[in-house]
Amino acid sequence: MIQSFLEIKELTKNFGGLRAVNHVNFSMERDQILGLIGPNGAGKTTLLRLITGILKPDSGSVRFMGKEIIGRKTWDIVNMGIACTFQNMRPFRRLPIIANVMVSCLCPRAMKRGEWVKRLEAKAMDALEFAGISDMAREDASTLSQGDLKRLEVARAIATEPELLLLDEPFGGLSPAETDLMAKSISRLHKGGRFGRLHSEGPAMIIVEHKLQWLMKIADRIIVLNFGNIIADGTPDEIIKNPYVIEAYLGQGGN
Amino acid sequence: MDLILFYLRKLFTILKNEVLVLPSRVVVVLFFLLLLLLPVFTKDPYLLRIFTLTSIFAILAASWDLLSGFTGQMNFGHALFFGVGAYGAALLNKHVGIPPWGTVPLGALAAVVSGLIIGIPCLRLRGTYLALTTLAFPIILMGVVFAFPGLTGGELGISGIARLAGSRVIDYYIAVVVMLGLCTIMWKITDSNTGIIFHAIREDELAVKAAGINTTRYKLLAFSLSGFFAGISGGLYAHFMRIAGPSTLEVSMSFQVVIWAIFGGIVTIYGPVGAVFILFPLLEFLRFWQEFRMLMFSVVVLLILLYMPDGLFRWLRDKVEKECPRCKIRNVAMRHTCRVCTAPLD
Ligand SMILES: Nc1ncnc2c1ncn2[C@@H]1O[C@H](COP(=O)(O)OP(=O)(O)O)[C@@H](O)[C@H]1O
Ligand SMILES: [Mg+2]
Repeated sequence: MIQSFLEIKELTKNFGGLRAVNHVNFSMERDQILGLIGPNGAGKTTLLRLITGILKPDSGSVRFMGKEIIGRKTWDIVNMGIACTFQNMRPFRRLPIIANVMVSCLCPRAMKRGEWVKRLEAKAMDALEFAGISDMAREDASTLSQGDLKRLEVARAIATEPELLLLDEPFGGLSPAETDLMAKSISRLHKGGRFGRLHSEGPAMIIVEHKLQWLMKIADRIIVLNFGNIIADGTPDEIIKNPYVIEAYLGQGGN
Repeated sequence: MDLILFYLRKLFTILKNEVLVLPSRVVVVLFFLLLLLLPVFTKDPYLLRIFTLTSIFAILAASWDLLSGFTGQMNFGHALFFGVGAYGAALLNKHVGIPPWGTVPLGALAAVVSGLIIGIPCLRLRGTYLALTTLAFPIILMGVVFAFPGLTGGELGISGIARLAGSRVIDYYIAVVVMLGLCTIMWKITDSNTGIIFHAIREDELAVKAAGINTTRYKLLAFSLSGFFAGISGGLYAHFMRIAGPSTLEVSMSFQVVIWAIFGGIVTIYGPVGAVFILFPLLEFLRFWQEFRMLMFSVVVLLILLYMPDGLFRWLRDKVEKECPRCKIRNVAMRHTCRVCTAPLD
């Protein structure tokens, strides 16, 4: 049997009486960008947090490149090559932006992979440049706007040099023009572009996003989640036509 | 001769370009010089004794800042490390006969072990719970001390241990040089990559984990480093006073450290050091005024905390220096343009 890059089986998470993720099964390949959509409270963030080990599932398994990762510490999972961003950004507010990214550059994985870049600051600067906020590198993170905080989240995540990047609403709070830029950077990263020169190939991605018209452009495949269940899984074109999806998600005012 | 001139010229250039440009650096250099030269001007044993003790406590206050200020692990039982260092050194000296230069580092290692022991249960705790738990540890150890009076001397402590050195002046120099050295090391640590991670843990521990950093390891590192420096301070204290008693473990000792640090300004290292150099001698000199001593002391501390919430030295520094909005380099407040990038200040 050929091993999947990421394989999720029967993953379930309850918060008290509430089942946030319900027997979720899917697998993805190394070269994919997977869009994860669903109404608010569908369990998207919870699913990402289960993969990164921030939350412990009640049952189920997650295999990453053939290894079970449920039960491992978050930092171990990150050092195996899964990085994530936080939906409600969590910068180190009283540290300069560059120091925010340097923390990620200091993880064992990043130290090992980019060792030919001599200075840590240069590495952090690379990630900031990719995210488009390098000109503010010396400012404190508390001075950043919402949109720039999103970029900082992305910069911190890619600085750990992931194989799989989990982005939780990377376009949230960005203006249409900024969203366009961010969407372009993300595809470029995936193809192994600018920041991708540190990688042999760009990372695979799971992107949670509400701005569907942009997500459809960059994703190869979309999974729709509702009340913790996967209700649809297919290419963007199939998803737009799926009657369940239109009812559960697109129908209720989304576009 | 030429070589000497060369180095003198080099020293002068450094002095001119690196030190004289910022008041805070001038103050630090003067502080080093004054402390190192004090015995040249006076050999008054009372004065030397006060500044020896001040130096010893300055190490303690800085070590608290390293742990609680930088990583945000509020330790209200810092006396534990001080006490373990003091008792460790005293026991090793009295019962094993090791001289002070051996007992002080060994006592500090014992304090590192105690740091790890309390660090492990404290890893999961935060805020008030962490503060209360840490508060309890020195009290527990004091119970142990009283339980074995044969070994620890009980209430009287272990007395009659070896002197730090042969004379007051040498005692003074040992304390001052060790203090200046260790505080420089602590400041360097906070300025290093490890320091960045300490800062980040204080800001948001989960985000540090998500950056692939083993936060457990770094928190334990902070506990051990802090324990080590505080342990050195405790060992020096025991050999200087020639006694290690339960007073080193008292709750008031733990609180004293917190007051010093907050007074001077946490997350600075230099703040707590400076604070000890003001508050400890102040308390000593107020001795003639026995009844009002604690009252005066409290008033001074309260005023500072009310009007300078970031601590005395941060406040002073911000009065005489300002940061360039462009390159973030500090400048004398009198300047109108940045000394490096020439951007207008304010
Ligand atoms: N830490 C938590 N404790 C309790 N309930 C939670 C927690 N996190 C999420 N939930 C609940 O789980 C459900 C799914 O949340 P979430 O994964 O954040 O949804 P989404 O990201 O799809 O909007 C929601 O009903 C939410 O209220
Ligand atoms: Mg969410």
